[in-house]
Order: sequence, then C-alpha cells, then structure tokens
Amino acid sequence: MSYSKELLSIFVTYILTQNFILSKFLGICPFLGVSKKLNTAVGMSAAVIFVMMISTAVTYPIFNLLTAMGLEYLETIVFILVIAALVQLVEIAMKKYIPSLYNALGIYLPLITTNCAVLGVVLLNIDTNGYSGDLANFGRAMVCSLGAGLGFMLAMVMFAGVRSRLEGADIPKFLKGLPITLIAASLTSLSFLGFAGLVENMFA
Amino acid sequence: MKKAIIIPTISLFLICLFATLLLGVVNGVTEEKIAQNAIITEENSRKIVMADAKSFGEKTEGEYTFDGTTAPYSYVEALDENGNSIGYVFVTASTGYGGKISTMTGIDKDGKVTGIEFLEIGETVGLGMNATKPTFKEQFKGMVSGISVNKNAPSGNEIKALTGATITSKAVTKGVNTALDIYENVIKGGANNG
Amino acid sequence: MAEKKSLGKEFTKGLIKENPVLRLVLGTCPTLAVTTSVSSAVGMGLSATAVLVCSNIVISLLRKVIPPKVRIPAYIVVIASFVTIVQMVVKAFLPDLNDKLGVYLPLIVVNCIILGRAEAFAGKNKVLPSAVDGLGMGVGFTIALCCMGLVRETLGSGTFLSGVSSINNGSGLAIPFLSQHPMLIFVLAPGGFFVFGLLMACANKLAEEKGLPKAVLHGCENCPMAKSCTIKEKENCASGEEVAK
Repeated sequence: MSYSKELLSIFVTYILTQNFILSKFLGICPFLGVSKKLNTAVGMSAAVIFVMMISTAVTYPIFNLLTAMGLEYLETIVFILVIAALVQLVEIAMKKYIPSLYNALGIYLPLITTNCAVLGVVLLNIDTNGYSGDLANFGRAMVCSLGAGLGFMLAMVMFAGVRSRLEGADIPKFLKGLPITLIAASLTSLSFLGFAGLVENMFA
Repeated sequence: MKKAIIIPTISLFLICLFATLLLGVVNGVTEEKIAQNAIITEENSRKIVMADAKSFGEKTEGEYTFDGTTAPYSYVEALDENGNSIGYVFVTASTGYGGKISTMTGIDKDGKVTGIEFLEIGETVGLGMNATKPTFKEQFKGMVSGISVNKNAPSGNEIKALTGATITSKAVTKGVNTALDIYENVIKGGANNG
Repeated sequence: MAEKKSLGKEFTKGLIKENPVLRLVLGTCPTLAVTTSVSSAVGMGLSATAVLVCSNIVISLLRKVIPPKVRIPAYIVVIASFVTIVQMVVKAFLPDLNDKLGVYLPLIVVNCIILGRAEAFAGKNKVLPSAVDGLGMGVGFTIALCCMGLVRETLGSGTFLSGVSSINNGSGLAIPFLSQHPMLIFVLAPGGFFVFGLLMACANKLAEEKGLPKAVLHGCENCPMAKSCTIKEKENCASGEEVAK
C-alpha cells in the first residue's frame, strides 16, 4: 500500500469505523453535555480538532526526547501538563490577537484540557505509530488526530440532530432525561457499527 | 506583582520536582519486575509456538520493512536436545483495530509455521479478541510464506477470517507473514535488511 | 462520637446518595469502555479508587501551601503522578489487567471524578475526611462499574468472572445457554450505551422513591472546570435540568 493511500485509509478509519465517541468511548462528557444545540456542538468539536492537532504535533517529538533519555514512564504526566499549558497559551494568544475566533472557539478551550479524547489520541498515537521517530510516522500520527477530531465532530453534529428530535417526542416517564439520551446514543453507535467493513474493502 | 508571579511558580516547580522524584523511585522498584514479566511471558510463549524445542539461543533484534511499514522485530534460534537448530521463533509487530499487536511465530527449517501466540493484543472484546482463541491460532500451523485471509471458504495457504473482525485477522496474518519474510530473506538469504 | 458519625456519612454518601456515576454522572468514559467484563470493571474501579484516595490525601495536606492561582495545574500534577504509580504497579504485578485496560489506565488522569473531588472536597477539608470521601467515591464508582460489567458480561459473552486466572484458566464460569448463544451486541459499543441508559433509568426510579432529584447531566457544580468555564449561556452546558422537566 502506498503511503498516501495508507494515510487516506487511516483518515477514513478514524472518522467512521473507529469513531472516538461512538466506538472508543473517548470524550463522552462533551458528547452528552454540549450536544444539545447545533452551534455549541460545532464550536466545541472545532476546538477539539484544533487542540488534538497541536497536541499531537507537540507531544510526538517530546516522546522521542523522553525515549532518548529512557524516561518513557513519565509520558502521562508530561503529556497532560504539556496539553494543559498549551491550551492555556493558545487561549491567551487567541483572546489577544484573534478575538473573533476566541468568541467562537476560545470559550470551549478550558474545558478541553480534561477531555479524555485529547489525551487519548495522543497516547494512542504513541502506542500505534510510536515505533520510531521518522517523518512518515509523524505524518500518520497527524492524520490520525485529524481523523479522530473530525469523527468527534461528525458524532457531535449527528447527535445534536437526534437530540432535537427527542425534545418533541413522547418519552415513557422512566426514561425521561439522561436514560433516553443514552439509548439514543446507543442507536447512533449501532448505526456506526455498519461502517465496520467499509474501510478494508475500500482500500483493499 | 513580582511576588504574585514568583510564589506560584516556585510552588508549582517544587510540586513537579517532588512528583518526578517519587516516580523515579517507584520506577526503580517496578522496572525490573516489568522487564522480568515480559521475559517470562516470552519464554512461556516460545515453548507453546515451538513445542519440540528444548532450549533457545540468544535473542537478535532489528528493524524490518514489510508491505510498506517498518517495525522492530526480534528472533531466537530454537534448539533440540543435542543443540541442533530446528527453526526460529520470531516476534513481530503489526497494527490491528485497537492498536499494536505483537505476534510470536515459530517457524521450522522448512519455512512452515509451527504455531503462533500473542504477546500484546488489545482488540475489541467479542470480535477481534477472538483471535486469542485456539481455533483461530491453530489455523496458522503448517502455513508457508504469503498467507492470505479468506472470509468464507479458506483453501490452501489461507486462513478463515474471524467473524466481524477482518482487520484483526489481516493484522495477525501480516505479523506472521512478516516473520516468514524475515526468515526467508534475513536468515536463509543472509541479506541484512535494516 | 460525633466525629465518627460524620466520617461514616462521608463514606456512605459516595456509595448511593452521591454515587459518582449514577447520581453525579461523572467518569462516564471508563464506565462505558472497560465494563465488558466484571474483572476489568473491578480492576478499573480499584485503580481509580487508589488514585482518588492518594490524591485526596496529598491535596488535602497541601491545601494551605498551593497558591489558589495554580491550583488546577498543581492538582493535575499530583493526580498524574499517582496515576503513573498505579500504572507501573499494575504493569509489574497484574500484567493481564494492564492489557485489558490498555489506554484507559493512563486516562484515569482525566477522569473528572478525581479532579472533581480534589476541587470540591479535598482542597477545602482536612486529611481524614478527604481520604474517607475519596474511598467512598471510589467504592461507589467501582459498584457502578460492577453493575455494568455484570449485565454486559452475562448477556454479551455468557460468562461470569472471566479473566480471573484462578477460575477455569481465565475463561470464567460459562452460563448455560447464554454461553452458547451470547448476545454479542452487549459487549460492543452500542450495548454499553444501552445498559448505561437502563441503569440510569433504574437509579432515577430509586431516587424518585427516596424523594431525591433526578440525576442531572453535568450540573455545573460538579464540573471541575466550572470556575474557568466561560460559556455564557449556561443552559448549553447544564442541559440536564431542562431535559429532566
């Protein structure tokens, strides 16, 4: 398989078959919490994509540095601190220089530090693409986080649509509120299960 | 103003320093045990994939490019009671559905697979994880280089894919094929790839 | 005597009344992800409990030393260190559990129960109550995970306690009929959401009988980031109350 084809297959896999929310259960909190309105869902996921990309770009070289010094065991603590600091920096810079973008995305940034989807993508990237520090693997890692972020957005946007339908529905009393939301999520996830065979046959 | 910056900085720095020191100490205690665990798993798995072997030689490590991806591998020589070589046991890595899969493959002198075992696997429970069941692993016995995956009726040098987990089946097969390729090219062919 | 009573209260509140998963709706990611079997659910629950108790103790000890400005990063450092320690210990002594939990083990760092308790309780209270609070919350978390694991494992793979190496070589006790015809969907992702939804419905029903309010989806008071959250229209965030109507 050529490199570009491989990147494309990673990209599609992470959006559809290995969707972070619906099949890996990463980032459930924002999925349930801010998916009620379409505009907040889009804003939140755009911020997640942005943070995922820059965190991967920064933590990947850092991991190579840690490996070189034999300090792999510090990865969790280093990554979470780097992500937290980075998010804070970006927030400050954005507020000062691009206020319009800050109003659209910035307000979600503090919530993202403790979002497991971001730390999850960084750790998974190290796990699957961390064989060696060459540029090809770095490219895979970046495409993987872009795909994961877009998959996150897709799930959020779809679910915002599902939830707007739920509001007018006549729901049995015992399922009202959170339970029916989770069952709706279950059905959304079930529909994504249908993508399982797609990627391998598309790129076979 | 200066105080407002310096005090938080120093206290945060001290907390980090202390945390790192603590981690270093714990790592010192557990590192050896973790390494030992890995060795024990590897030794036990070797006996499963190459049941005829009585002892194993020194471990050789390297990197190998197969089907476009470069990954590290290692192998040991399998010896019978007289110390004669009867084949090799490889450890290769491939990427499955849930991350890295580390496969151990035993290959005899004729280039046939004698058995496979997983050192690391984290696939979906109920689907990909079924690869760890004996019925799937047994299929690889006696296969030769260039194994392929068939979903319905496998014949010849083919294995039957796990239901609903073709990605895992292909990843495992790739790991085994990598081992066969290394055997052909590096050990038998004497070529020095990577 | 009074002291003892209140300590007991701190412990039991986490079990039922303020169960972190079923009442406060925190830590949903591991609740869904690692509950495909009882053994991994217990493993995750106990690992998180260990981190929760240790970090609560340390944060409570340091509560007067940490400048309020850098409170959150300091908490994160403390929590991340304990998570790493638990990770190393699990890797060394329970390698099978480490394989099962995979990436979700380091992800305990971002489990909102832990940061949430640090912010809501340990940062304001004495050491002993904080430790007990952590223990209660941790056990409550473990109980909720076990319920999920029990339902999903029984229906989804037809086994009981698989993964405990002393029982049947790790494959667990096979349940007649169900083990021949497992409902696979329960161990897959949709089954996780489904079982969690039904469990939540049961919890709400029980709460209603006791006269407690329904579980609210991310009430802002439970969110560790509430203070730095600047989402102006709060109803976007704390949507639960509206839904509960």
